[in-house]
Amino acid sequence: MIERPRSLTRLLAAFAALALVLAGTTVFAQTLPRNETLYIGGHQWGPPTNFNPLSSSPAWPVGGNGQMAINGAGYIYETLFLSNIINGGTEPALGHDMTWTTPTQLTVHLQPGTMWQDGQPLTSADVKFTFELGKDFSVSTSAVWDYLQSIDTPDASTVVFNLDPARPNPGVLERYVDTVYILPQHIWQAVADQGQQALLQYENFQPVGSGSFTVQSYNAEQIVLQRNDNYWGKDLYGLPTPKYVVHPIFKSNDAGNLALQQGQLDWSQQFVPNVWTMKNVGTWLSSEPYYIPGSIPMMLVNVQRKGLDNVLVRRALAYSINYPLIAQTAMSRYSEPAKSSLIIPTGVESQYFDAANVDEFGWSYDPAKAKDILENQLHAKKGSDGIYVLPDGTRLSFVAQTPYGWTDWMAALQVVAQSAKAVGIDVTTNFPQAPVDINDVQTGNFDLALFYISGVGPDAPWARFRDMMDNRSVPAMGQNAFWDYNRYSNPAVPALLDKAGAATTIAEKKAAYGELDKIFMQDVPGIPLMYRPLLFYEFNTSVWTNFPTADNPQGTSPQWYIDVLRDVKLK
Amino acid sequence: MSPTFRRYILTKLAWYLVALLAAVTLNFFLPRLVPGNPVDALMARFLQGGAGASASKTYQAFITQFHLDRPLWGQFLAYLVNIFRGDLGQSFSLFPARVTTLIGQAVPWTIALQLPAILLGWILGNLLGALAAYKRGAFDRNLFVTALALSSIPYYALAIVLLYVLAVAIPVFPSAGGYSFGTFPQLSWSFFLDALHHYLLPFLSLLVIAIGGQAVGMRSMAIYELGSDYVNYATSLGVSDRRVLGYVFRNAMLPQITGLALSLGTLVGGALITEIVFSYPGVGTLLFNAINANDYPLIQGVTLIIIVAVLLANFLVDLAYGAIDPRIRAARSGER
Repeated sequence: MIERPRSLTRLLAAFAALALVLAGTTVFAQTLPRNETLYIGGHQWGPPTNFNPLSSSPAWPVGGNGQMAINGAGYIYETLFLSNIINGGTEPALGHDMTWTTPTQLTVHLQPGTMWQDGQPLTSADVKFTFELGKDFSVSTSAVWDYLQSIDTPDASTVVFNLDPARPNPGVLERYVDTVYILPQHIWQAVADQGQQALLQYENFQPVGSGSFTVQSYNAEQIVLQRNDNYWGKDLYGLPTPKYVVHPIFKSNDAGNLALQQGQLDWSQQFVPNVWTMKNVGTWLSSEPYYIPGSIPMMLVNVQRKGLDNVLVRRALAYSINYPLIAQTAMSRYSEPAKSSLIIPTGVESQYFDAANVDEFGWSYDPAKAKDILENQLHAKKGSDGIYVLPDGTRLSFVAQTPYGWTDWMAALQVVAQSAKAVGIDVTTNFPQAPVDINDVQTGNFDLALFYISGVGPDAPWARFRDMMDNRSVPAMGQNAFWDYNRYSNPAVPALLDKAGAATTIAEKKAAYGELDKIFMQDVPGIPLMYRPLLFYEFNTSVWTNFPTADNPQGTSPQWYIDVLRDVKLK
Repeated sequence: MSPTFRRYILTKLAWYLVALLAAVTLNFFLPRLVPGNPVDALMARFLQGGAGASASKTYQAFITQFHLDRPLWGQFLAYLVNIFRGDLGQSFSLFPARVTTLIGQAVPWTIALQLPAILLGWILGNLLGALAAYKRGAFDRNLFVTALALSSIPYYALAIVLLYVLAVAIPVFPSAGGYSFGTFPQLSWSFFLDALHHYLLPFLSLLVIAIGGQAVGMRSMAIYELGSDYVNYATSLGVSDRRVLGYVFRNAMLPQITGLALSLGTLVGGALITEIVFSYPGVGTLLFNAINANDYPLIQGVTLIIIVAVLLANFLVDLAYGAIDPRIRAARSGER
């Protein structure tokens, strides 16, 4: 057959020609001009179905990852203030200033001239209305009303928040003041009047906010924002440089990372393995660990399970884990080896971190010490399979779980399994689908579970201590709990937590957190495995430059806030 | 239409109705057998910003909103009634979008990607297979080995190779999406070309595998037919190659038609890995994400469409068989 190769060559040639012709057509298709468009990725994974910040799954930039107001603050809706995770400070947004007039009273003044995108004035009544939605309905902002008692509006630009004097916790209020998107009462009142169901179902496809962008179009492939040139704060803050911001919706992390590498994506919030090898791609820090630590993936230890109910077993397990290896491999060097503390040792929380406390009561990777605890304190004997058995016959064999698909978390648990086995504790990994795993965690049905707890924020690390140690309002095993998943309790904790929450000075807080951290390290209800950024932050400079970095911070924080879009410049 | 043929169709129709009912029932109960609860995952996302004492109230609000507080049989009845009204409900994980809207957005992409790949792959594969069986010799050896290799490559592996070679190493094709990001779907020549540019790689990755699989199957069938008496007789009479091949082709086709119908039926389920590798729009990722979130209504909606399509395709094949091959019709209606 002589014919075949010839026709094959012809076919390939035709195919190549077609590819080249098609490659040129993008130029002619009606496309947003590249020099006016910035492409963002990593916040939205499914089709956008609503722009309602109160719903369970709002689309970017109104919700995105479900973390309110972290990855889209100021784009469409604005918050009163923005918290800066670099220095722990607060930056103005809709709010001009906030002052604690008494220990339980926070007064906020709005910026002059705040205005909705439809031209109506934005006043203190809108702020009061927005917060009170959380009181009247079960929405994601409802938790602030555990501490908040009432809101007063003495005039159109002043809001006074009154905390419940019985449960003062200024940090929690500040967290909400920094993260709640203020909504226009003249639009949302009518929705709220129809009740809870209507409020959660409201699609809000043409959101009217107060921020620098409006939704230009959206579908299952992309969300397109267009600059609002009538932004009320354009003289105060300036306008964003790009006229359009497009968020393509990728089907996988790999596709998004490839687009970032090829310069189709300018700014990304994704886990990128070996980010330092990518050309033209930068991160907040120019060297290890590249990102700012923002949360602690926590291996929860079920203190109710046989074997793990013994604090010495938990301690031996904690000593056996190779934390440096987790930071190196599972976290792709984006983390320092985890310390045995609930406080993140670097960044804004370092002001509370007590290294001496950790050295005295904590643990670190030390297999010899783990063996010592097992043999000399627990008097455990090694079985023929190399696994220790306690004198009461309990074989030290546990299952560690985390949702399937959380790749770096899965890798971390694999390191835990290896290093525990090397010491003589049998840990097997289990990676169920996310809903199954989350149900196990919430109902307390696990031995060891790698899960997330509260990250960096205005009330950190208070919320993290609460998540790990506060047994108040936690239902019994089998029912859904939303913190203290392992139902750990210690009678000294509640008083200390309330003291830390009400504390107003750094020294007071540090002392209370130190006490709590000591109890945490003595009781080992959980084992911190690594540090993870709150959001990833990578940018490709082939089209847009001047992204803020640690060397060139420009007074903003790398938190996906609108400031970054005001700083970028065309190359 | 003869009475036997009508009886044949009616019996078939009855069986398909029973199968549909059974499938619809399984469709409701199977997702609910998965441990975990759709609200748990939703709450976990909802509370990432911080949980308070109000969390259990919010949890209850979601349970009520999704009608999960009703008894299971009540939910099942509501589901049956809604199906007949054409209402597939609202997605949990993509609340408050309607399942029909979500599927409606994805199905055109899936059909446009898969239908041509399957049909063209089937036609080309069968032609090449029959040709190889007939020509024998070097052509057969080369083609058989190539086809066997292609049909044994997992289709996702080929997709990844194609992506790497033609979108990364030599970037003549785009690496992601159904059309260029920042472009808006419209009825224009330029948009069509842009979409075509994005279409070719995923299409090719499916087509090549389809050709390989079909060619291997057709070749064995055709070799079997070529050994039969009527071929020997026709060849000895000096009938042209083309004509003999035509007879062989038609006889070897029957089992291939069943295969075609099955793949046409399941195609609405989407090509999950192809969609993920090329970030191409479609039903596959919709279903995958729904399963990951225990999103009962969305899982049910997609599987319902797959069930209906498979049953319909099978029914059409039965009809076609009955029409094409009188032996089958006679055997099934009890005539000898």
